[in-house]
Amino acid sequence: MTITASASPPPETDVRPPGTLEIRNICKAFPNVQALDNVSLDIRPGEVLAFVGENGAGKSTLLKIINGDYQPDSGTLTLDGQQFSFSSPYAAHKAGIRVIYQEPEIVPGVDVAENIWIGELPQRGGFVDRRRLYEQVQKGLEEYGFADILPVHLMGDELSPAQRQLVEIMRALKEGVRVLALDEPTSSLTDEEVDRLFTLVRRLRDEGVAIIYVSHRIKEILELCDRVAVLRDGRLIAVRPASELDNNEIVRLMVGREISDIFQRRRNDTGREVLRVENLNSYWHSNVNFHINAGEVVGFAGLVGAGRSELAKVIFGEMPKISGRVIINGKEVDISHPEEAINNGIGFAPEDRKREGLVLIRSVLENASIAILKQLSRFTFVNQHRERSVVSGFIEKLQVRTPSVEQEVSKLSGGNQQKVVLARWLAAKPKVLILDEPTRGIDVGAKAEIYRLIDDLANEGLGIMFISSELPEILGLSDRIYVMQNGRITGELSAAEATEEAVLALAMADQLTATASRSEN
Amino acid sequence: MSNEALTTQTTTPVKRDGTFKRVINAIGTDNLTLIFALVILIFLVTVVSGWFGLTGGDKFFSWQNLMNSLAQSIVIVGLLAVGQTVVIVGGALDISVGSVASMGSVVAASVLVGVGTVGALGIFPTSNVFFAVLAGILTGSVAGLINGFIVTKLRVNATIATLGTLAAFAGFAFLLAPDGKPIGVVTQPAFTWLAQGRFLTNLPIPDLGGTKWVGIPVLTVIFLIVTILFHVLMRYTTFGRSIYALGGNPTAARLAGINLDRLRIIMFVLSGSVAGLTGVLLTSRTTSGNPVNGTGLELQAITAVFLGGAATSGGKGTIFATFLAVLLVGVLNNGMNLLGFNTFVQKVALGFLLVAAVALSQLRQARAEKARTSTAAKS
Repeated sequence: MTITASASPPPETDVRPPGTLEIRNICKAFPNVQALDNVSLDIRPGEVLAFVGENGAGKSTLLKIINGDYQPDSGTLTLDGQQFSFSSPYAAHKAGIRVIYQEPEIVPGVDVAENIWIGELPQRGGFVDRRRLYEQVQKGLEEYGFADILPVHLMGDELSPAQRQLVEIMRALKEGVRVLALDEPTSSLTDEEVDRLFTLVRRLRDEGVAIIYVSHRIKEILELCDRVAVLRDGRLIAVRPASELDNNEIVRLMVGREISDIFQRRRNDTGREVLRVENLNSYWHSNVNFHINAGEVVGFAGLVGAGRSELAKVIFGEMPKISGRVIINGKEVDISHPEEAINNGIGFAPEDRKREGLVLIRSVLENASIAILKQLSRFTFVNQHRERSVVSGFIEKLQVRTPSVEQEVSKLSGGNQQKVVLARWLAAKPKVLILDEPTRGIDVGAKAEIYRLIDDLANEGLGIMFISSELPEILGLSDRIYVMQNGRITGELSAAEATEEAVLALAMADQLTATASRSEN
Repeated sequence: MSNEALTTQTTTPVKRDGTFKRVINAIGTDNLTLIFALVILIFLVTVVSGWFGLTGGDKFFSWQNLMNSLAQSIVIVGLLAVGQTVVIVGGALDISVGSVASMGSVVAASVLVGVGTVGALGIFPTSNVFFAVLAGILTGSVAGLINGFIVTKLRVNATIATLGTLAAFAGFAFLLAPDGKPIGVVTQPAFTWLAQGRFLTNLPIPDLGGTKWVGIPVLTVIFLIVTILFHVLMRYTTFGRSIYALGGNPTAARLAGINLDRLRIIMFVLSGSVAGLTGVLLTSRTTSGNPVNGTGLELQAITAVFLGGAATSGGKGTIFATFLAVLLVGVLNNGMNLLGFNTFVQKVALGFLLVAAVALSQLRQARAEKARTSTAAKS
């Protein structure tokens, strides 16, 4: 082993098999959140290690550090006694570490073989040696049993998600991968494809590759993995052999958090129904039924990708629905554009406020009044005096911290930006307000203010559809909770029934319906 | 870091006086830069040129030059630039306006004289200025409607769509003219008055630069009226607000309830209508409905809008800034004419002016961004 320029710590006394990726004391902080807190872990060759944890537990951050996308604030990564500070994914690849993300980068305009060998195509006299290229790729695919599902001449943009992942895996194998991480690899695969993937993973494990397997599907983890590492709030909670664990135990380890200082809602009697959705079907959803009453906060829980944001957008007319009825205040409505949704009394604060919620380069005033311009204007002339007084009223009520209403929204903090979006919808006086991850990326203080605001709004008689991936806030605020998985509502819980375990069980259970829907498609 | 933030905004002292500060704010710091550039340019033309032995700069401040050459020369490109500002703020580009102006030019002449495809239809009475102008503008509106339809319903990128219609409309302008030949309108004095007439010729205004007050050209008055209308439209109406939102972030605009398709169509119709009007005025000015009247004007108009500081990605830019930029280009060309530079040199100068202006504004944005992010990191 050559000696690197970087100062290595004294060699560890206990012996680890060569090829072990040693993660030591990794910390990583983002503004307002400690994404990883002193995580230490060994990933051994010849084992499949699962990373599990809730959304935001730190799994993705850890993968990105292993892949060199992020630099840790402190801590080390060591492979074969060599300490790495991966400055880029390229450096990680050179060391034999590969992270396969859910959406691999595939060049659409070239075929499978070239995608696999991209950047180092075999050359012959200055030209690409196509014969050698196809021979080698074909050989590799046959060796791993994928020749029939991944034709070498298929173009990049014709590949299914499964095939894209295979291309990325073949890239890794070609370079002699030593540590392979798979991020939610089965989320868009059919059962048969999952079986093939597992066969490959087991084979690689037997060949001595260290494998990290990240998944929300506990059943798969128990089936495939040797050990399970549980992350929670950026900390490594437990590393146990999979044989000692079962579904309930994993969920318990993932959740077991203190729910002490979470805001508790002052519940009022709820009023009559303001929104009812019946048998809604769309590209993303099958047979969704739910209702929201006036004065009620209805939580929508589920894992990322369960179809909650899409549900909000289908109701709001931003995404198309296939069939089903939407009833507002007892009247069936046909909404195919956000404009109609607003006219029918729906407000929607989208998840990604910078990309979908705000016109960042315009002022607080313009952003807050945009949904009520018609009410504020006469003969299309905006009554600027009224506009200013209406907006200023809500800016004060929500305590938006801005030097003036003329301030460009991009210059406000995340929490204040979110309040500007809320001010817009309060001004529009909707009957139903859809909030999609309203506290994402904002600091704790602002979060508490948003919670109080949601509570106030509901008590004023608004029906609130509250989508959140943070279980404590959804449990603390909701009067009722719907849990979604794979575009379906898998359960409804009253505030009394709702516990983190109950919600997670409904959100993660690899239940029959999921497999049924797969075979339908 | 607050120091840096201040210097990036303006070099003028704004802290001192309440009223002064308010005036500055009303004008806007970006516009101040343009005004500053305008003053420097006039200084270069009238004073500095003399130091280098160039003659002609002294003629700049004369009624003859200001009211005849300068005021008239900015009108055509100015009108197109005002219409184009709406489109660029809306996050798109209307490249077809030059050809639309050509069509408007031919149709106006055609209706006026009663020849050519449209004139022969006999929908409008001949020799009637009102109907000739109306027909020219409507031609532009229809062209804008076509652009809007292609962009919204056929989902073609606006730049490509209008690049296509630029070619198509250019050909159409020829098809509308009898045998593709220009239509003379010299015999219609009521119509040519649009370009040659003057208002307020009798005002008792003292001589300037040895020349007498000559009145304000009708052309210039039309330009000013359209500019003010568009300024009001963009600044004070729901339409204008929606355009800024559309250009700034179309997704957010749609999710806030704005019907983007309808808005985009109106935007292109407005741009087309102004281009149609421009064509009418071109006919009056050149006394001929010529199918090449508008050729190449689109680039000058787009140049002026960007010179005015409009964001290339949309959402930022004002009619007033475009007006100042049009004036700047006008003074540049006018001054160089006076000093005896030929048009090739003028083109080179204009090109560099645009690149320099945009580079300057990018630099300023980058510094402002840097100041902002370093503050954010510290807080």
